[in-house]
Amino acid sequence: MTQTTQGPRGPAEMSDAEELWYSGKWIDRVPQWVSITVLGLAMLGLWWLIAELMPTNLKILLAGPADTFEELWDTTKNIVSGGHIAEGLWITTQEVLLGFLAAAILGFVLGVVVGETRLGKRAVMPYLVALNALPKVAFAPVFVAWFGFGVNSKIVMALFIAFFPVIVDTAAGLYSVDADTVMLFQSMESSRWQTLRKLKLPSALPFIFAGLKTAAVFSVVGAVVGEYLGGGHGLGELIRLSAQTLRIDRVFALIVYLGILGLLLFGLVAWAEKKLLFWHKSEIFEIQGTG
Amino acid sequence: MTTPANGIDRTGLESRPVEHEVVRITKLNKTFHKRGLKALDDVDMTLRHSTFTSVIGPSGCGKSTLLKIMAGLIPATSGEILLNGKAVTGPRQDIGIMFQQPTLLPWRTSIENVLLPIEIRSGAAAAQAKKDDALRLLELVGLEGFDHVHPHELSGGMAQRVAICRMLVTGPAILLLDEPFGALDELTREYMNVELQRICRERDATSFMVTHAIPEAVFLADQVFVMSARPGRIATIVDVDLPRPRNLDMMTTPEFGALVRRVRHSLDMGIDGGGLA
Ligand SMILES: Nc1ncnc2c1ncn2[C@@H]1O[C@H](COP(=O)(O)OP(=O)(O)O)[C@@H](O)[C@H]1O
Ligand SMILES: [Mg+2]
Repeated sequence: MTQTTQGPRGPAEMSDAEELWYSGKWIDRVPQWVSITVLGLAMLGLWWLIAELMPTNLKILLAGPADTFEELWDTTKNIVSGGHIAEGLWITTQEVLLGFLAAAILGFVLGVVVGETRLGKRAVMPYLVALNALPKVAFAPVFVAWFGFGVNSKIVMALFIAFFPVIVDTAAGLYSVDADTVMLFQSMESSRWQTLRKLKLPSALPFIFAGLKTAAVFSVVGAVVGEYLGGGHGLGELIRLSAQTLRIDRVFALIVYLGILGLLLFGLVAWAEKKLLFWHKSEIFEIQGTG
Repeated sequence: MTTPANGIDRTGLESRPVEHEVVRITKLNKTFHKRGLKALDDVDMTLRHSTFTSVIGPSGCGKSTLLKIMAGLIPATSGEILLNGKAVTGPRQDIGIMFQQPTLLPWRTSIENVLLPIEIRSGAAAAQAKKDDALRLLELVGLEGFDHVHPHELSGGMAQRVAICRMLVTGPAILLLDEPFGALDELTREYMNVELQRICRERDATSFMVTHAIPEAVFLADQVFVMSARPGRIATIVDVDLPRPRNLDMMTTPEFGALVRRVRHSLDMGIDGGGLA
């Protein structure tokens, strides 16, 4: 579920790209933006075709691209003019951001406890693993009962779904520190705090960011699930109402805005990672960098 | 801190005076109780000032263990280690250490890496005050102008030279090197050997280096300790009295070849479980 495998990459793996170049597959000679665009258009066409071929009495269940884009335009106008969708978007954004922030802080702190102390590893971690194995969505009604129908229950839901990957990746990052470098710090009579601050935490940053990126996506999931099950006035509630009245085009339009929200948060984390980890190559940048 | 022996020419066969003892180890034993493994058995040795000692032996014979005990990183089971007359009971500022990997912090520049031991021990201000020393060290190892470069922009050999500077910056009385060039390619390795010899001479360093390569052991050393395994002990000491400074051409001389054969022979005796050479 989490991206814990996305660890540091050695220079030896660079040769993959070279091999592809020599193998001369046609797809590698096409610029990436072209292949992305072509595939996107193809999927759009397929969507349109299926919507067209639907029997008339079922057409309402699948809005075609044209209807959806029209609704997306109306939605955008509503948002720009500060209508009720803008309000919903703002509410959900707050839930996502606060949920993500809480997940990042709590996940980081617990991750350090688990990764740095024996008690954390031996006693706390087993409970966290058990907790993670539970279907977290099932807790949503409990959070509504505890924190009400407002934004608080959604923030808690977002936090609850998103914090685990941060814990696991932070702890994994702390474990991954090179043993010889730890010994070097011992030879310099480094205190535990100094070793943590000057060696272990910076070494763990690539892992921590992998966890934060997962958490960015999960916190959107958490907020929306919270809204589905706990009401309120966010985008999730608007989607639920639109689906009830079979306005599938509106559902799609709102989902696009949820996607934008998730992407922006993900991008923000990725941007911070790029700024901070100039010394480390993360895979996602290679994908972006080979346009 | 030792001062470089400026102006003192040690070239040729000039016989060196017997220098004072820097390290004395007596009856050193190490048992890893968890595995019931006797890693070191009654090791005795003396390292004199400004000498270079190579340690060679089969894999797992306790070379790294010995080095870590000397560095105060792990405790001995019994025995005594004196460094400049004071028992080593833990890490000390006058012990410099270096590993097979450069172990540089990738988010720090060369100079920041070199200054790390000062920063850890005495804080950022003290490190800042030592900046000129660090720059001179980088110059000494041939990395002038690379002070603001990050490790990922350095070659393996350059990174190890930064690690040398970091080891030297506190002015240690003893340099402990655990296969420092073991991860480098052959040509870089030979070059680094010549460099290390030069640096050690300029700093009047007392060095103790673990290695897997016999020619490297002989090339750098005044004495080669050949260890045997299970339990780890120093089986033979081969004195290397080749003149200094040594250059790579000397590796083809009959004298060098004879020394390499002696070390090789002692190693084989140890592995076969035969008697001492
Ligand atoms: N922390 C440890 N716990 C148990 N056994 C160890 C430990 N460190 C090393 N050993 C064992 O001690 C022996 C010597 O190891 P080492 O000093 O690393 O050998 P080498 O000569 O290759 O450097 C090996 O058999 C090794 O497995
Ligand atoms: Mg070793």
